[in-house]
Amino acid sequence: MADTLTVRTAGIATVQDLGRVGRSRHGLPAGGALDQHSARVANVLCGNDETAPLLELTALDFACTPSSDVLIAVTGAPARLTVDGTARPQWEPVSVRAGETVRVTGIRLGLRVYLAVLGSFEADYLQGSCAPDTVLGFGPVLRPGDALTLRTACPPLDHPYSRIPLFRLHAPVPPFPAERIIDVTDGPDRAEFGDSAARLFGTPFTVSPQSNHIGLRLRTEAPLPRRVTSGEVLSRGVPVGAVEVPAGDELLVLHRGRGVTAGYPVLAVVTATGLSALGQARPGETLRFRHRTLAQAVTAHRAQRLAIDALRTRVRTAFGTLRIPVPADG
Amino acid sequence: MNGNLTVTDCGDSALVARAVGLDTERAWRLVHALADALDAVRLHGVHGLVPTYDALLVEFDCADTDHDTVRRVLWHEAARIGADPEPAAPPRRFVVPVVYGGAYGPDLPEVAAGLGLTQDEVVALHTGSDLTVRCLGAPAGAPMMDGPPFPAPVPRLASPRTRVDPGSVAVAGRQAVICPMPSPGGWPLLGRTPVRVLDLHGDPLTPYRPGDTFRFVPLAPERWDDHAGTPLAACRG
Repeated sequence: MADTLTVRTAGIATVQDLGRVGRSRHGLPAGGALDQHSARVANVLCGNDETAPLLELTALDFACTPSSDVLIAVTGAPARLTVDGTARPQWEPVSVRAGETVRVTGIRLGLRVYLAVLGSFEADYLQGSCAPDTVLGFGPVLRPGDALTLRTACPPLDHPYSRIPLFRLHAPVPPFPAERIIDVTDGPDRAEFGDSAARLFGTPFTVSPQSNHIGLRLRTEAPLPRRVTSGEVLSRGVPVGAVEVPAGDELLVLHRGRGVTAGYPVLAVVTATGLSALGQARPGETLRFRHRTLAQAVTAHRAQRLAIDALRTRVRTAFGTLRIPVPADG
Repeated sequence: MNGNLTVTDCGDSALVARAVGLDTERAWRLVHALADALDAVRLHGVHGLVPTYDALLVEFDCADTDHDTVRRVLWHEAARIGADPEPAAPPRRFVVPVVYGGAYGPDLPEVAAGLGLTQDEVVALHTGSDLTVRCLGAPAGAPMMDGPPFPAPVPRLASPRTRVDPGSVAVAGRQAVICPMPSPGGWPLLGRTPVRVLDLHGDPLTPYRPGDTFRFVPLAPERWDDHAGTPLAACRG
């Protein structure tokens, strides 16, 4: 029988990957992990391909048990990670013995935690991705007792008694501050907002509970930016990260599940690194926007990617030394 | 250079190319030809193309390419295409049976009243000509069509529905659409087709593409089952 990872406490857990990239022309949203950076790092720490299926745990406690020895990595929002009651580090590979219980509890300062397993597990695919999409009606929320089929096992690595962490790979951990700062660049329609565009900055916004993977709704006590022009905008493609101002009293920030077309002017666009940070925003928290130039935004994104590339090299070296079998597609 | 195009930054991972100074038909043809051209070039780092009416969104990973490179390719391809591109592929025609009114199209009476027409006249206009698919839209793969020649634009519903059944045939403004899957929607519903508009596991996702045409034909409610679940397919010839 194939080895499995059995869910004990499900919380809100889904099988996730980086999304259905390349299909926006067919009207398909990208979807995928809302904190792409943390998801990439989790897989890289396991020697996996960045696009391998992993678990996205949202807000609530989670527990699972593998039927064979495995190597896992847990990234994303700060949380308490234990293996059979022993605290283990996030953002490092962690060895788990067959039958031990992995628990992720007390997710804080963010919303989403990513759990990857060396070799990953079997998943259903739709249009090139296993990412759930509520609009497409694809991708179940996991329930207690669900068993994911592991693609490979990993021999136990750390000392059976002392449990001294074996790895110190220095993964690039983004900040998880009490008040999140979300970087944006000017949107293509910024001019339509005149001087009121500046209202996006300097005032805190509160994340509405009506926020999800399609978009976040943000409220503020201060006046919102308003268009100084009028007239209908023809439906056109809008990027992930588009900051829109519909007629009501909320800002709308589109995230990876957004429909590919919309008819509102785009005031600003959240940067690539800002989108990962925004993917951690909790309903009820306040955040602020920070203006970046395109050059600053691109530089930040490239630095984050280079850090992941460097981490991948360190993982390869460490795994090679320890004779850990690197997954074939990794 | 192509004097009929503007290219604007759209955040750190996208550009928007917009056709300017062209009539709607030529603007639409230009942005779709441009999308086809970029698709054929397979530029490293570019992963998304969303051509709509007069605009093309180009999405890319700015770690793998940059705005200047994508912009240069856009201008190069636009110059090659010129101002009056031919359609990339001959249009195909899809015939779609629709049960109008009643529970299938609950907004037919209101739309008719708003247009000052009878319900039969609305159906006659909706079924009276081939409607051209202009782009694929939300929620996924929805064929966004030029609307039928109604005497006036059709207003959206004051209160959008939380769930629209798949196959629902709707109109709003000067546009028409078939809702391919259950989703919320604010467009008035005229009817519903029993055919399966798209296959989520299909590759490509939709059997139709922009430029193809749809012809709606009235279907008696008792013949719903004859077509239920049949995949939508283009007519021969």
